[in-house]
Amino acid sequence: MRKAFVGAMVALVAVLVFSSMAAAQAPQSQANQARSPWIYYPKDTIVGNGGPAPKRDLSGTWAGPGSTDAIPTGAPAEKASLTPLGQQVMSQRKPIGRFGPAGTNDPTARYCDPLGFPLNAVYQSRALSVATMPNRVVFLLQFGGFWREVWTDGRALPTKVGGYDKDSLDPTYMGYSVGHWEDDYNFVVDTTGLDERTWVMRDGTPHSVNAHVQERYTRVDHNTMKVSLTIDDPKMYTKPFSLGTYYYRWIPNQKINEWLCVPSETLKYLQEQGDPAGSYPDAAPQRLGGGGGRGR
Amino acid sequence: MKMKTKAPALVAVIAGLLAIGTPLFAHHGDAAYSATPNVMKDCVVTEYSWMNPHSLIKFDHKNEKGEVEHWIMEIGSPPSMALLGWSRTTLRAGDVITAYVYQAKSGVLVGRTNKVILADGTVLADRDDSTPSRYGTTEQK
Repeated sequence: MRKAFVGAMVALVAVLVFSSMAAAQAPQSQANQARSPWIYYPKDTIVGNGGPAPKRDLSGTWAGPGSTDAIPTGAPAEKASLTPLGQQVMSQRKPIGRFGPAGTNDPTARYCDPLGFPLNAVYQSRALSVATMPNRVVFLLQFGGFWREVWTDGRALPTKVGGYDKDSLDPTYMGYSVGHWEDDYNFVVDTTGLDERTWVMRDGTPHSVNAHVQERYTRVDHNTMKVSLTIDDPKMYTKPFSLGTYYYRWIPNQKINEWLCVPSETLKYLQEQGDPAGSYPDAAPQRLGGGGGRGR
Repeated sequence: MKMKTKAPALVAVIAGLLAIGTPLFAHHGDAAYSATPNVMKDCVVTEYSWMNPHSLIKFDHKNEKGEVEHWIMEIGSPPSMALLGWSRTTLRAGDVITAYVYQAKSGVLVGRTNKVILADGTVLADRDDSTPSRYGTTEQK
């Protein structure tokens, strides 16, 4: 009986904590707003699983990690085990988390350069659309308005990218991708030929043009998609490692916002705010009381 | 489920909820800013830029000597702020606000804010506790 009472009290506290947080987070601007088909409502999240997953189909518009707390938490990326060359490249990288906007040499933070793949699959991945075309599955990314083509016609990945042979292909920000359905619900994508200027993770983890990334998309049910990524690059890493697992949920009105890195805005931000604030790479990390902003 | 396993499960639920409510680092860290905020009243907004990577609020504020200082403070990116009720139309030049400003350690008149109170009493926070970091510690280093 006493345990039951304790349990009931704990449950009551849990409900109060949860309800106060929910109230605090409810955006006032959306409370009494008429719904428009032209607007993406981040808090308008899908309920339930929507029934069984369609076979061999990821098509649709999806809300990803960071878009709201309704997105299930997956698994974080592992840390790369770097080769001596990898360590050498890494030593030149000044990630924004430590150096701040003023001191970083993160090419996206300073110049709006494309994140490139696979960073754009694990960071700023709040929303995307997937479209099925003849011989291709196309991923349309919200951040930056980029797209990736995944060829499903059975072709092999290129073996020569970035070299000086006449038949060598150019490295690209999105790489060269092929995909196949392993079964009715699992779509596997292999990618290589990635531009070496891009960072694999926000901490500056490097990669070579011959890095091989594998994504495994699982259509869990109609309303849920998940993806796990691994990367292998013997030039930079001593062993393959996971880039994490991420969940996506169906967006009810299938609308996402335009969200771009605009160079003139980034320049304005750096000149007026980021650079004057200075860089403190050796300062202890801190969080600012009551929040401090999460500017992802 | 047997009774004796319920309480620990609920404690875990509470712990989880509290963890979700824990403030998180900004994507670029907060090392450049002082650890305690200045509470600045009667700030007159001169410019509001709803933009990436961080929206900026410029305002004028009279210091203790009566001199007008020109401040700039940043909030989060539009997607993260939209979750918290902010929008392109939240502020406009001429609005009078109270701002909680973490000033840059460099001493210049720029800062980060975690709370703005509008003239009508509306409190807008710059915090997004709804998205636990997926990057572990790598994001902060």
